[in-house]
Amino acid sequence: MSMSLPTEPPTDGAAVTETEKKADEVVEEEEEEEEYVVEKVLNRRVVKGKVEYLLKWKGFSEDNTWEPEENLDCPDLIAEYLQKQKSAHEGKRKAVGDADGDESKSKKKKDDNEKLRGFARGLEPERIIGATDSTGELMFLMKKHSDEADLVPAKEANVKCPQVVISFYEERLTWHSYPSEDEKKEEKN
Amino acid sequence: MPTTSIGGDERISKFKNKGKDLAKLREKRITECVELRKAQKENFFKRRNISLSSLPEDEALSPENGTVSFRIEDIIRDVNCDDRQAQTRGCQAARKLLSKDHDPPMKKIVDAGLLSRFVSFLSLDDEPTLQFEAAWALTNIASGTSWHTQQVVNHGAIPAFINLLTSPMLHIVEQAVWALGNIAGDGAAYRDVLIECNVIPALLAHISPDAPVGFLRNLTWTLSNLCRNKNPCPPMSAVNQMLPSLMQLLHLSDKDILSDACWAISYLSDGSDDRIDVVVKTGIVPRLVELMNNKELCVMTPALRSIGNIVSGSDLHTQMAIDAGVLSVLPNLLRHPKPTVQKEAAWALSNIAAGPCKQIQQLITCGLLPPLVEVLKNGDLKSQREAVWAVTNFTSGGNVEQVVQLVKSGALEAIINLLKVKDAKIILVILEAVNNMFLAAEKLGETERLCLFVEQLGGLEQIEMLQNHANEMVYQAAHNLIEKYFSDGDLEEVQVDAMQNGFVF
Repeated sequence: MSMSLPTEPPTDGAAVTETEKKADEVVEEEEEEEEYVVEKVLNRRVVKGKVEYLLKWKGFSEDNTWEPEENLDCPDLIAEYLQKQKSAHEGKRKAVGDADGDESKSKKKKDDNEKLRGFARGLEPERIIGATDSTGELMFLMKKHSDEADLVPAKEANVKCPQVVISFYEERLTWHSYPSEDEKKEEKN
Repeated sequence: MPTTSIGGDERISKFKNKGKDLAKLREKRITECVELRKAQKENFFKRRNISLSSLPEDEALSPENGTVSFRIEDIIRDVNCDDRQAQTRGCQAARKLLSKDHDPPMKKIVDAGLLSRFVSFLSLDDEPTLQFEAAWALTNIASGTSWHTQQVVNHGAIPAFINLLTSPMLHIVEQAVWALGNIAGDGAAYRDVLIECNVIPALLAHISPDAPVGFLRNLTWTLSNLCRNKNPCPPMSAVNQMLPSLMQLLHLSDKDILSDACWAISYLSDGSDDRIDVVVKTGIVPRLVELMNNKELCVMTPALRSIGNIVSGSDLHTQMAIDAGVLSVLPNLLRHPKPTVQKEAAWALSNIAAGPCKQIQQLITCGLLPPLVEVLKNGDLKSQREAVWAVTNFTSGGNVEQVVQLVKSGALEAIINLLKVKDAKIILVILEAVNNMFLAAEKLGETERLCLFVEQLGGLEQIEMLQNHANEMVYQAAHNLIEKYFSDGDLEEVQVDAMQNGFVF
């Protein structure tokens, strides 16, 4: 009989890595029927005053779960996670949220006049079709193309497209008649 | 012909506007104007109601009865029958409906059960027109909400589109790239499914100097969606595959390609240090700094965001940005007319100021203090907030001489004026800065001088008032400051001499 080392490739199960990583592994809850091993701590949050950690389970590529701190017995993994967060350097602050809507669209629809748009883009003059100050600030309803219209603050429009704003105002100029003035002018004529 | 005055007046009054009543003239003008406006409005409304059948047919397809039907029943019938021509006709009609600017009937098409047919058309390599129309229709449905994208995916679109990436017809490949971009853009889940299906090598294979610009634009955008989203971030193996190609794309000159490539880098650098590390190891930082100067806002914005992310990393990462010249570009951006640009620039500055003395010194040397103070004084609230962080970080990491420089630049005066904002967090950050300045003053034995200065600037009054602030931490911090530095009774008149060190103003 020859002694041979197991030649099976390592599975996702704990078989091969257990010996290497014993120090870091979670001690399985012996009371439970199934044994789940925590591979890594991914995140931390506080819900209703209780600390929870997002856990990656060994052998499961999806199914990460949030577990309350008190249920866990993997202090090394938690410490490793916290250390990583700290070494995100004191004083440094990560980006918060989106770049104020300047980001590239996450999805795009291909329009019918796709080709036309390419040429017309930038040359198409915008038009103001209305104004309102119900938001507290003077806003223009700016028609872009076909049926799309945007609410744009007047402050912005005045700088971006002053001619468009002027046209809007000019189109709506009205004079009120002042009879005395007219009489005077008539006399001059 | 003799022109008597009477005759002249008569003629003149008939001639255009002369001699007419001024008020009547105005009335006439106003009425005309209103008529014109009304006429324009009518045209505007009429254009909305153009029937789709008048849209130009850009395919070489001639329908039997001469007009294309856009009725959903006809489309369903056509798509479901066995005749290729009818299928193409129906598919094209659906595509056109789905390409409308206003309210494309996505749900109707889904509910009509057409998606499985469309997906099956994708595999008909000998019917490129049909493939293309189906791909376009599915692209547009996938561009909707998560529900819409899910419908497309559930009908088996992913493997079908990935197969199309090897089509010999470039416009079909491009359409598949677009569709996959929409699916990836839905979120981390589908993104990772696509990555698992090996979409990345198939996409990268199409990057070549001969590729048309429009094609590369779509490709870059789709790649950026594969870099996008966190929780979780894309797998490192995928990131490593994409980075070299992103580098290549970043050296092109088309603004749309550059924009999306920079967004991709901004997503990849938005994470922990190991994420930032793989990005900077490509050597991309100098190019990013260069692109921060690009005249196109759509390029400059993500380049700035990327650099901002990089300097939120380790001191080493930050040094790489400094070595690449970021400090000479930043002043312009701090003075940029667009408030969001100012804000992002101030945020990047605040992170550089959170570094070691050596880097803070570089901030001073490269003239970053004056524009910083300008933002504190004139910026919008969000920019001011970031600038305040910059000041506090500076006072925390800077040595005594550096803090003196900071005060001399007008920063203290500027932050004192910001003590009246409503944001309690910012007030706390300002008070911390003031505290740090006093700590520096202590080392020089100059606390009294600083007290006097703060009082002159109206700061003492502000801080005293803050002892009544609603926020507990604020009034505590304010109180501590007063107790520690301002409670020695009346301040003595200190003669301010011109000295080499110290807080001389």
